[in-house]
Amino acid sequence: MASRTKQKEEARARRLAEEQARAERARRDRRLRMIGGVVVLAIAVVAVSIAVSSGGGTATGLQTGPQRTKTVAAVSSLLTGIPQSGATLGNSSAPVTMTYYGDLECPICRDFTLGVSGGGFPQLVQNEVRQGKVKVLYKAFETATRDPSVFKTQQVAALAAGGQNRFWDYAELFYRQQGAEGSGYVTESYLQNLAKEVPGLNLSQWESARNNSAVANQVAADEQAGSTAGVQGTPTLVFTGPKGQTAIGTIATYPQLQQAVKKVS
Amino acid sequence: MSTLSGASATARAGASTDRRLRIAILVLALIGVGVAGYLTYVHYEGLKVLCLSSGGCETVQASRYAKLDGVPVAVLGLLGYIGILGSLLIRGELGRVAGFAIALIGFGFSLYLTYRELFTIKAICQWCVSSAVLMTILAVLTAIRALREEPAPA
Repeated sequence: MASRTKQKEEARARRLAEEQARAERARRDRRLRMIGGVVVLAIAVVAVSIAVSSGGGTATGLQTGPQRTKTVAAVSSLLTGIPQSGATLGNSSAPVTMTYYGDLECPICRDFTLGVSGGGFPQLVQNEVRQGKVKVLYKAFETATRDPSVFKTQQVAALAAGGQNRFWDYAELFYRQQGAEGSGYVTESYLQNLAKEVPGLNLSQWESARNNSAVANQVAADEQAGSTAGVQGTPTLVFTGPKGQTAIGTIATYPQLQQAVKKVS
Repeated sequence: MSTLSGASATARAGASTDRRLRIAILVLALIGVGVAGYLTYVHYEGLKVLCLSSGGCETVQASRYAKLDGVPVAVLGLLGYIGILGSLLIRGELGRVAGFAIALIGFGFSLYLTYRELFTIKAICQWCVSSAVLMTILAVLTAIRALREEPAPA
């Protein structure tokens, strides 16, 4: 009798242990499946994020086809009818000069110039500059461009277009097709393509101006002027007029620009 | 009797290891909230900040990789760290697996961003690197927590 009870108890204990082991295994399997699922999910989320992050913006910069035509037309309509001389946009006898320290590769300068993120430059050009109240003088100041020799080359390319009074066409086209920062998009073919987009630019004259040492010296002189003026970043805008001088060291909105113009005129 | 007390001792040891892991994750995630919070602050102030003539952080923050479909990555990091903190509040397996999932996604994305810093932007932002290191450690700790045996309720 006693041994039967004992046997029964032992069998029950064995069953219990087996059940426990099975439950344990099931729990472990479930956990591993869950973790496997999490790993797959994580990889998927990261892959999608990377695809979103790498896509979109133009790494190479240059536009093609109808987009390019649209950009060229937009620059033309902004600038046509406004006098240009070298790196100056606007009537040479305008009472107020806005000196714009910029780097063609600087994304904040791009935003300011194209009127993105509150930048008020296009409105200033359409109104005060077109009306002959303000002229804009662009001076080169290296910030976002990592390689000084690239900085010089791109700035010389723009100034060489300025030799044919088309500096601003070139700069606007550059900003509108600015590539991803630090991606090395500013190549010889990039600069050549921009030149081809500038309406009426004589390419052989442009080429020879690029080798003109006076143009290269202008870039160094601009940088020197910037350092002397205490410029630390781009865009920096210095307004000079009959009533003196004032500077804006941020991406300026149109009202801020108007206020600065008023202050010095 | 002896096996029973042995099992409960193991469970106690497991529970205390889990406690230590939780504390380590808590501390690291809090530091992460600090780093990502600072970067978020700088980013939104940075809308007015210029391209500076020196400094890797500005370059990195101003690059197009600083945003994911318009959302600053600093904000995503901040949400990630807060998510990991939140997962510590959820009891049981769900909380442990959720924490691991968030940390693993954060780790993967940090890996990608560090690659972009090194090879595309060619500038290093120490804040971003410290966040990447935090995410890596968090991914390891949350993985250990998720893989361990369920600690018996104390």
